[in-house]
Amino acid sequence: MPDEEPSLNIPSLLTLAVVSFFVIRWFFKRDGESGAPGSRSRPRGNVVDPAQVEQISQMFPQLSTRDIMWDLQRNGGNVAATTERILTGRGLDTPPPSFQPLVAIPPTGVPPQPAPVSKSDGQDLISRYNLAAKIVDTSEAESTAKPGGWSQNKEERQRLLQKRRDDMILAARRKMMQKEQGSAQ
Amino acid sequence: MSSMTQNRLFREYKTLSENPPDGITAGPVSEDDMFHWEALIQGPEGTPYEGGVFAAELKFPKDYPLSPPTMKFVGGGVWHPNVYPNGTVCISILHPPGDDPNHYEHASERWSPIQSVEKILISVMSMLAEPNDESPANVEAAKMWRERRAEYEKKVREEVRKGLGL
Repeated sequence: MPDEEPSLNIPSLLTLAVVSFFVIRWFFKRDGESGAPGSRSRPRGNVVDPAQVEQISQMFPQLSTRDIMWDLQRNGGNVAATTERILTGRGLDTPPPSFQPLVAIPPTGVPPQPAPVSKSDGQDLISRYNLAAKIVDTSEAESTAKPGGWSQNKEERQRLLQKRRDDMILAARRKMMQKEQGSAQ
Repeated sequence: MSSMTQNRLFREYKTLSENPPDGITAGPVSEDDMFHWEALIQGPEGTPYEGGVFAAELKFPKDYPLSPPTMKFVGGGVWHPNVYPNGTVCISILHPPGDDPNHYEHASERWSPIQSVEKILISVMSMLAEPNDESPANVEAAKMWRERRAEYEKKVREEVRKGLGL
């Protein structure tokens, strides 16, 4: 037997992507129709909605956002059409050098619309890396071990990286606290 | 599949671990996925970002190093003219050579396979020190930086403290 594992096959993945895309689109469309009028005016004409660009570039990180903007701008902000185009392998055209993407910017003066909050939004580094427990006992452990390090062992490497990350954050925090105490006196 | 890309990323990871540049830590979140990294960058001295540590995620395309990665600050983003409100960093080294919306970037500043993660992170560090006012990604921040510098610096300092959990 050759060693080709029966891995995920691409056509079925693509089908799944297309189907789920349309389901999501249908869902949002329905939402938009029943929602309060003027709750969030959709950009019209030649203005590109950054959310749409983000949406596509998350699906296809290899594509340049400029190409995506160009395609969206030409088809009037139709994410489905752009996605179709990419999935069918036609690819996106390269915009002419004169293309200046007009990105829809929320009007100033109005508080920015609550963006879809990602899991780590507004989170500080201490909670992000679970360092609360380490804040206390590192106050005197100022071990200036040589930074950097590499191991042949995968777990060990991961551990070294994590330690360097933790040390960097904790050291910065300590320094900031010292500085503030110094200036308070 | 894309083993060349993975090898290259692994080599870069090794170099960055053995000889980390000052104020920079970077590596894959897990070695099972070499296309997703996380980096920490120290705020440059003599700037309002001084003393801060900023976390960012790097996502590499399958054809890296032909195409550049994307970089996004996480944990609330960074208040800076060249960082989108969602945290995505917008600087020339992250743009492929054919991609020059503003015609002011030199080809040598833009992405090419001879660049590296290390160079990106160093560029981002200098971007923090010297915002590029010409193509703001965060229009509000750019305006504040231009017109109300004191307020801008105060806001950044507050975010630096918040980021460290203070």
